[in-house]
Amino acid sequence: MPTVQLENVRKVYDQKVAVESLNLKIEPGTMFGLLGPNGSGKTSSIRMMIGITVPDAGEVRLFDQPFSRDALKRVGYLPEERGLYKKMNVLEQLSFMGQLHALTATEAKRRARTWAERLQITEALPKKTEELSKGMQQKIQFIAALLHDPDLIILDEPFSGLDPVNASLLQDTMVELRNSGKAILFSTHRMDQVERMCDAITLIHRGRVVLEGSMREVKSRYPRNRVEVVYSGDNSFTRNAEVLEVRDYAGRAEIILRGENPNAQPLLADAVAHGTRIDRFEVKAPTLEEIFISSVGGRVDA
Amino acid sequence: MHNVWLIARREYLERVRTRGFLIATILIPLLMTGGIIGSVLLAKHAKSSSHIAVVSTDTKLATDLQNELEHGSESEMTIDVISPPSAATRARLEKAVHDKDLDGYLWISPPRTPGTRPVLQYKQGSSADLATRTTVRQALDKVLTRARLVQQGLNTAQVQEMMRPVDMEATETGQQDNTAASFAAAYVTFFLMYMVIMLYGMNVARSIIEEKTSRVFEVMLATVKPLEMMAGKVVGVGSVGLTQVGIWMAAALLLTHSSYVTHSVGSNTGAQISFSALQVFYFVIYFLLGYLLYSSMAAALGAMTNSEQELQQLNMFLVLPLAGCMVALPLILNAPQSFAARVLSLVPFCTPLLMYMRLSVSTVPVGEIVASIVIMIVSIYAVLWITSRIYRVGILMYGKKPNLPEIIRWVKYS
Repeated sequence: MPTVQLENVRKVYDQKVAVESLNLKIEPGTMFGLLGPNGSGKTSSIRMMIGITVPDAGEVRLFDQPFSRDALKRVGYLPEERGLYKKMNVLEQLSFMGQLHALTATEAKRRARTWAERLQITEALPKKTEELSKGMQQKIQFIAALLHDPDLIILDEPFSGLDPVNASLLQDTMVELRNSGKAILFSTHRMDQVERMCDAITLIHRGRVVLEGSMREVKSRYPRNRVEVVYSGDNSFTRNAEVLEVRDYAGRAEIILRGENPNAQPLLADAVAHGTRIDRFEVKAPTLEEIFISSVGGRVDA
Repeated sequence: MHNVWLIARREYLERVRTRGFLIATILIPLLMTGGIIGSVLLAKHAKSSSHIAVVSTDTKLATDLQNELEHGSESEMTIDVISPPSAATRARLEKAVHDKDLDGYLWISPPRTPGTRPVLQYKQGSSADLATRTTVRQALDKVLTRARLVQQGLNTAQVQEMMRPVDMEATETGQQDNTAASFAAAYVTFFLMYMVIMLYGMNVARSIIEEKTSRVFEVMLATVKPLEMMAGKVVGVGSVGLTQVGIWMAAALLLTHSSYVTHSVGSNTGAQISFSALQVFYFVIYFLLGYLLYSSMAAALGAMTNSEQELQQLNMFLVLPLAGCMVALPLILNAPQSFAARVLSLVPFCTPLLMYMRLSVSTVPVGEIVASIVIMIVSIYAVLWITSRIYRVGILMYGKKPNLPEIIRWVKYS
């Protein structure tokens, strides 16, 4: 039973098409990455899932039911641009958000305290939002999204503005939530995080899906054509016929090989024949970042 | 409904707890007290208290005038009577006026032909003191008329009776009322509405803009409907205004009934405004409905704009309908049962003022009262509904100012 399902969704603003024939499906217990360059329709898609806007065509289904506002009680949302009431006391604010999601005031406060402890931000509770640093506000907003124990958690750029310590704290929390069976959708520009955390991704560009599937599936679609060589001495091996593109950083070469079935062997033989000293020679699949750039940037060199 | 309540409560508590609210709530009654005490003192000073001399060969006339000026209803002057004058009197008086020992003098010479009025000469130190001059002239008029009447053969009691000011009572059959009070009530209602709408209605708009700029709406709209949000804001921010105005009114009532004020001004203000219990009831109903309607309109303005400056340009849309109703007010007062009056008082933007006026000057059929209340409630809902539409679409396209066709499209849009 998919937690979120978009079928052939289309959304047009005035003259601009924001999203066109978008299909996606998120199962419970998955970490789902919604990727795309700025202005590609990520936020528009998210807004349709939480009823801020309504699709012009197609269907949005939450928890295997046609969209209804009641279902939103089971959704937690962290918007891209953070919004908290600046002058309001943090605990009061969390309690208010919890009550809007049908918690009682006492229960909301109890949960807020538990979460604050877990995210190491208890000292912020008695303060006003405007007194907090950006990273702290971020964590508070994160708590606000999770307070009512939602089954679907939507996080738009959750890591922006967080230092590495807090980012990994957040990351661990997200993985725990995923493991406890929640569906998590998150959008980000940080491909390394997506690569590490996501079970499935959808990449949209100009409102259309250009790439989708489970992480493993997506990566297996791309040939292992990247070679990284750390060397000293002669670099004539980089001019081998198999090489399509090379970036040579004085002793470290990043090479992209030619063809559908790339072969790195001739390169190595070439280097050995020229007496080049090899410290490291690694054949890799392209990173998600490279896949992203190639899918979006129109370069078909992968 | 629960969400509306939660949002309203949050808005209310957040605002009431601010220092600004506390200061304004306390400061305004203090200023009112100061103002009232000041005006009482001024009222005392308004009675002319100049020191002048009256010179006349006619001792009776001079003392009469002295009496009138020293104990009359409009003056508390100090009068020196010089009767009869000697040759040096005029020079001495001139000097006294010049040295500012005396504010002026009045020289009354006997009439040139008997039976006509005496010749009067009034000299004053500062020619700008108009109040004293007027008081002296009025007192003289009175005294001379009285003297002439006595000359004509009337006795003092008859003269007193004739000179008494008239009392006029405007009483309608079956209704205890007077026009002055109705007028006063209308103006009080108008200014109260005007003030509250300008002060607090605009706060509703401001709070919506604030929410747009802080981007809280995204989280909020992921949970609540825009209509609930708008209604919550109008009720919450609105209640703050009502609380403050309520405190001020209570303070004002307390002030005007406190013993000091009643002693010093209460007895001779003459224009006592009194309301019946039913009038108060209607006032509360129509005031609340009007306030809600205008706040909802303010909310619409807030939903359309992105900054305070833009809002300022639009706030005339709130004031114009209210001012328009004020223009129609004489019509209602002159002919409260005319067709025009009945129609106008059912127009929702005017109902709070005009229907209330009609109710206080005449008897309005129950059907029309009910109709006006229903129309107002429906209008409030309609305005809020349109506002929430504008809001929902407006926030998603924020940045550029919408034109009218765009706003109409927003309303149709879901």
